Amino acid sequence: MIGRLRSQTTEASKVLVDWMEHRTGIVTILEHFLYEPVPKRGAWLYTLGSATLFLITLQFLTGILLLFYYVPTTDHAWNSVYYIMNGAYFGTLIRGIHYWSANFLMAVIGLHLARTFFSGSYKAPREINWVIGVILLLLVIGLAFTGYLLRWDQDGFWASVVGIKIGSYSPFIGAYVTHFLVGGDAVGPATLSRFFALHVWLLPAAIAPFIGIHLYLLRRHGEFGMESEYTDRLAKLHERQRIEEYARYEEEEEETYREDRR
Amino acid sequence: MAELQKDRMTRGDFLGFGLMGAIVGAILTIPPVAFILTPIVKTDVLGDSDVGADWQEVGSVSEIPKEEPKVFEVEFPLNQTYGIRSIQEESGVTDKEFKVRNAIWLSWKHEVVKQGRQGSGGDELGGSLRPSFMDQKSEGFTEQEREELVKSINVLSNSCAHLGCPVRWLIIEGKGEFLCPCHGGIYDINGGWVGGPPPRGMYHYAQVKIEEDGKIYVTHGFDTGGKNGPQQPYVV
Repeated sequence: MIGRLRSQTTEASKVLVDWMEHRTGIVTILEHFLYEPVPKRGAWLYTLGSATLFLITLQFLTGILLLFYYVPTTDHAWNSVYYIMNGAYFGTLIRGIHYWSANFLMAVIGLHLARTFFSGSYKAPREINWVIGVILLLLVIGLAFTGYLLRWDQDGFWASVVGIKIGSYSPFIGAYVTHFLVGGDAVGPATLSRFFALHVWLLPAAIAPFIGIHLYLLRRHGEFGMESEYTDRLAKLHERQRIEEYARYEEEEEETYREDRR
Repeated sequence: MAELQKDRMTRGDFLGFGLMGAIVGAILTIPPVAFILTPIVKTDVLGDSDVGADWQEVGSVSEIPKEEPKVFEVEFPLNQTYGIRSIQEESGVTDKEFKVRNAIWLSWKHEVVKQGRQGSGGDELGGSLRPSFMDQKSEGFTEQEREELVKSINVLSNSCAHLGCPVRWLIIEGKGEFLCPCHGGIYDINGGWVGGPPPRGMYHYAQVKIEEDGKIYVTHGFDTGGKNGPQQPYVV
């Protein structure tokens, strides 16, 4: 017996979902994104990719929050971080998440790389996905490097000096790369401005489409084989689901019919 | 494809497109590229420096210990982006002075008895070249004495020639040496290379002058190039 409130809610929801689906196709899209077919065995190691994505998402979100208080000038940078830590509510938590998530991201990316390598998941037809993954690794390293200077404390300052001087040893372009990053010939206001622009806009804007391509290629080839290889089993699964749903409708009809007759 | 179009493209048309494309392409790419590459143009092409070229006082000759180096802090004015002095003064919003701080090791030169080879062994050092008149006076030096003093002191940059970490003077097993905490670069009291990853000895300040009262002044410039190798301090 289905109560009126429940049946009305179900009806309304169906109407709403159909409305959205008709106009945007969002339901089909979400079903495709969320219901990735994987065999029963699965493996915890294969969650490392999702873990990486999760940590990157955390970085985006906490980074946006930190942006509300951080000031990228040499005379205010340290003070603004101090305010985040001591003045803003939950500032320590937000900054802490940003810092620790960055550290864990480096570790998890390494583990994800190792898993992909040792499971041979870079082989045909997934070679381009591997290349995209390496590009993502370099972008994340760039983000970590540029982010470290923004604290404008001794730690960040000297780490950036050392990192920039490592780059200066590159043949031919070493001097130019150094002067581009430093924004002149001494680390100062220009350097902080550049690293801020790189860390907050350029590198995130570069990483987002590459993550998109990475995920698209992943779903195209599938973790354990392409979806097209599962079509038979998927078709049977959908058929079974449809039968179950119709059976439920018939049940509801019978219930209401029996009610009316009483 | 040209056969499918009603009017075929002629050679002139193609070249026209190419020329227009080049002009429009240049108009579209040169401003943004030049915008972010400004520092490369200013520093590498034009040779300007962001650091002020004035003489800064380091310390007095009489403050240099006889047998070991001593570190002094120096501040040079820095002119970058919003920190450019004229902009700060004109703005009326802030008036802040931006500086780049250097730590300078001053010491008396020790005689180089035998020149070592970079990467192979350090120089063999003799005695200190501290002039004898330093025992008698600590100011009021004549021009000749000042010339001799300039040749007898080491004015070394704190920044390790490897990757820029600040080096320290340590006494190890009775002998003194500059040791870089990052990767273990070792230099002698003259700043010459003794061991470790640095590709050259410590950077000397290229321009040093000593006034009558014994005060030492330096400008922000280092002994790079030539037999010292192509490495630059870059970020100091």
